[in-house]
Amino acid sequence: MTLELLLIVAFGGAFLTYFLGKISSSLRNGFAVLNALALVVMTAFLYGQTVEKNLHFGFLGMPFVLRINMLSWFFAITIVGIGLLSIIYSLKYIENGKKLDFYYFTTLLINASMLGTVICGDLISFYMFWEIMSWSTYLLISYKGGDKALFAGIKYIIMSIIGSLAMLVGIISLYTHFGTLEISTLAIQIQGASLNYILFILIMFSTAFIIINAFWPLHIWLPDAHAEAVSPFSSILSAVLVRKGMYGLYLFMYVILGLNILNRLKFGFISFTGVFCWIGAITIVFAALTALLQNDSKRILAWSTVGQGGYMILGVAFVTPLGMAGGTFHILNHCIYIALLFFVAGAIEYRTGGIRDLNSLGGLIKKMPVTFIGGLVGIFGLIGLPLTNGFVSKWLIYKTLILGNRPFLAFAAFLGTWGTVLYGYKFIHNIFLGQLPEKYKNIKEVPFTMRIPIIILTILVFLFGILPGIPLKVINAIGISLGFESLDVTLWGIASETGTLNTINIFAAILIVGIIIWLIFKAGRKAPKVDQYDNYAAGSAIPKNKYNYTVDYYYPFTKMISPYLKDIFDLFYTKIANTVQKLCNSTRKIYTGYVGSYVMYIVLFLAILILVQLKWGVF
Amino acid sequence: MDRNKISKWLKNPGKMAHKYSFHVVYFCTGCGIIEIPPSITARWDAERFGIIPVATPRQANLFLITGYVSTKTLKAIIRTYEQMPDPKYTVALGSCPINGGMYYDSYNTITSLDKYIPVDGYIAGCMPRPEAIFIGVTHLWKLIDMDKADGYKRYREDYVHYRANQEQLFGELEWPPLFIKEIVK
Amino acid sequence: MQISEFILSPLLALIIGIFFLGLARKIMARIHWRYGPPITQPVIDIIRMFSQKAISHGSIFNFGLIFSLTGSIVVILFLPIGKMCPLSSGGLLVILYLMLLAPLGIALSSGEAANPNSSIGVSRKFLLALGYEVPFLLILLAVMAHYHTISLIEIVRIQANTGWSFGSLPLVLSGIAYFLILPAILGMRPFEISGAAQEISSGPKVEFGGKFLAFSTIQHALHEFIGISLFVNLFLGGWDLFGILEPISNTIWGIILGIIIFLIKMVIIFIIELFINAVFPRFRIEQAMKYLWKWPTLLSFIGLLIVVLFN
Repeated sequence: MTLELLLIVAFGGAFLTYFLGKISSSLRNGFAVLNALALVVMTAFLYGQTVEKNLHFGFLGMPFVLRINMLSWFFAITIVGIGLLSIIYSLKYIENGKKLDFYYFTTLLINASMLGTVICGDLISFYMFWEIMSWSTYLLISYKGGDKALFAGIKYIIMSIIGSLAMLVGIISLYTHFGTLEISTLAIQIQGASLNYILFILIMFSTAFIIINAFWPLHIWLPDAHAEAVSPFSSILSAVLVRKGMYGLYLFMYVILGLNILNRLKFGFISFTGVFCWIGAITIVFAALTALLQNDSKRILAWSTVGQGGYMILGVAFVTPLGMAGGTFHILNHCIYIALLFFVAGAIEYRTGGIRDLNSLGGLIKKMPVTFIGGLVGIFGLIGLPLTNGFVSKWLIYKTLILGNRPFLAFAAFLGTWGTVLYGYKFIHNIFLGQLPEKYKNIKEVPFTMRIPIIILTILVFLFGILPGIPLKVINAIGISLGFESLDVTLWGIASETGTLNTINIFAAILIVGIIIWLIFKAGRKAPKVDQYDNYAAGSAIPKNKYNYTVDYYYPFTKMISPYLKDIFDLFYTKIANTVQKLCNSTRKIYTGYVGSYVMYIVLFLAILILVQLKWGVF
Repeated sequence: MDRNKISKWLKNPGKMAHKYSFHVVYFCTGCGIIEIPPSITARWDAERFGIIPVATPRQANLFLITGYVSTKTLKAIIRTYEQMPDPKYTVALGSCPINGGMYYDSYNTITSLDKYIPVDGYIAGCMPRPEAIFIGVTHLWKLIDMDKADGYKRYREDYVHYRANQEQLFGELEWPPLFIKEIVK
Repeated sequence: MQISEFILSPLLALIIGIFFLGLARKIMARIHWRYGPPITQPVIDIIRMFSQKAISHGSIFNFGLIFSLTGSIVVILFLPIGKMCPLSSGGLLVILYLMLLAPLGIALSSGEAANPNSSIGVSRKFLLALGYEVPFLLILLAVMAHYHTISLIEIVRIQANTGWSFGSLPLVLSGIAYFLILPAILGMRPFEISGAAQEISSGPKVEFGGKFLAFSTIQHALHEFIGISLFVNLFLGGWDLFGILEPISNTIWGIILGIIIFLIKMVIIFIIELFINAVFPRFRIEQAMKYLWKWPTLLSFIGLLIVVLFN
């Protein structure tokens, strides 16, 4: 009963919001928030249930199955949670935009379709929801209009369609082979198939998932899409939408295929999961280093999303309980802090009138302290500082890699962390630290409804970092349901036989030492606060707006690296697209619009037919 | 030099620390800076007394005005002096800061530095040799012992007059007054 | 015993770190044929800095330094000094991550100072860190893969039984690579770019005065201590000196002698680094990065390859 209700509330709410918007805008806003809140509450009530529901009014005679288990619940709660926060955030953010009904409708539709993909239990409805999600994402990426937004949208939709078509090929092949598309039946029947066939199916489906999750060779749509979408939607895109690829990989690799087949999928010494691990490693390093070259606040975060996806697949494709826990936990953590960071970037955009260029901002900590705290905590989580949630998931992933005797992958992961420190600090420094330009002297803090999501996500970052047992319990249950053995999860960490992690030690140490140092600091002579213009400049006056080092923040390094760090796949795909366009353009020229040439075509064709008949007597 | 007398350290560590850890602002204000590199390098090693130059005034506590002070440099000197943290000491080298020295009748230099920033002591000479600078430092130690090296306190108490002198020389100053309360009353 | 370790460990690190600062100035002076300040000069400096009334640029200016000093002391709590190691959950990974707290704290503080000298200093500091982290991570992974553990106490214990890492054949190249990047980790010449007094007016410390400068000096001292003690623990056997401590291993004398042997090793390495510091100028940041990503990276990469193939 409740699963269908969930879907009805989600989809119905989207449509109803559109129509309510025609009546009054505050009614629509309130209803959108209530809808998202209702979804959160309903999903929370579904915790712990394992239900599979078979509804017989399916499509083409196939049943429509809805199911929920721990894995689906985990993804569903992130979807509706971030959806609610995004709707609250966009109340004020997009207040003065145009086509607002369309915006709220599309956002709620995306939420609903994502929810649909995780709670459905057969592949045809999975494909249906997936397509709805793709199309509505395209609509919202190009919502702002203009050249760049449309280009970003087209790039996204073409790649997404290629992925979806590959998935369709896989689905049709599965149907003809096994005669059913229900996931639970498939899981049993596919155990007997040949390895080659399984590899074919996996490659077809993985294409779709790799494209959506933006791993390395197929990541090119992500930076443009994030940079051009509106900020509340960018946070949904980064936090939960790209992780649908991860959900798809879970569905295929673990739920349908299961551990036995995964462990058998080797060809020589190259295993299917090994290829994924290397894709993840290359993604981490490539994205971390490319992010250093960016000058747009949302592009840096977009490349960050690409990179963190590599961590998740490194953990998940390692097929051990600790790795699976690390990868899954990283999905949750990443979704929290990247949403937080996109909210912060959006707040800056909102107050400065759309400025995303990192080279022209500075010193905003003095005017927007809450936003700064949000950005700082987000960056700490991204780096994986101890006491934040990112640290626990990264610790699990590193431990898996080191103890699994893959030190080169661990090296790639560590290098990604240091790249993250650099671009994270660049993000914080260029926006919030440094000298405040004169034109931003009168900026105020963001309004209250925009502050709520930032504050909530900040608290979550620390909560899951200090008490990782809360999400780890859920993740352990997921691991058990997928066939792994259970981990020894405590409230403060994980105790495994090869070393424990006890965040209570770290937390207590930092707290006590911090308090002692703070008391010593207070005991010193009081230091009054001075203006930013009372600064060292070798005895000269401080020039306003110019005494700031932000442009090309890591210039010596970017100069060294940028010849080697071209996004060759982006250039490659753009070249293919341009060539196809030119080909089509020149093919179009046969339509001259001049009747004489059409007559000539007809005559030529008849002549060829006559020639063929005379020579070979075909007809 | 009473650096090794532990009882004095225990009685007044702040004062003893100030005596034996002079960090000099590395700002060459005039011709006398030529005598400073010999003092801090191997031949007349100033570091054995704890004297070392530092990069910025925020980290320093001794300001050496080495020679004549032109009006252009005086602005930088005043800004640098105000950026130093309390307690701080100023020592002027040469005869130009005392009474104008060789440039007493120049349109471009000032004749009495003490009108603009407080000076704790002068070292006579044109330029004083490193040995003279060291003897001057020992005199500064004695002044600190007797609590007479209170230039920074005088600057705070008489800021109105110092500011008035500065404004008389320069006209409108670009930097706001350092101690607002004193100006307001 | 446990509570005393918590107090003794940071205290010892503080004293030895400040002693190292004084030793550095004295030995450099002697190399220059001068007398130099007394070895207790940093103590005098720190007392004087605490008695000065500095200015602040905002609350993150204050918070950043407290954060960074906290980070350094917490790392000390996780490091084995001799046989003392108060906290040990999570092993080398936690230490690596906790070492991130200190530079981030200083970076936040100096960022709020709103001075481009400090911003440039921090960018160079992070770039230098990226430079030495590449060979450093390869070296750490080689050691962790060779001993099949992520716990630093385990690594020290295994070395006590089987000999120093520097002497065990697969890890020789990694040891040499570590020695080549040690000046970069410590911030000594030729890699002193980030705190350069002349080029960028002392970089991140440009607006620090009074108690802020005192905290920054203490943090620098602790950072040097951490850098050298990691090297001694990972490659030079920690508290072990060819097994002479075996008979008195668990008594109080064993522990004290273990700490003394550890400190002697640290002093020897520090003096060697000081000799390198005395003769080299500073590299520019691109020269530094090119060097760090060339020979030490190559050596540590080959070292890791050897360890992986050996097992």
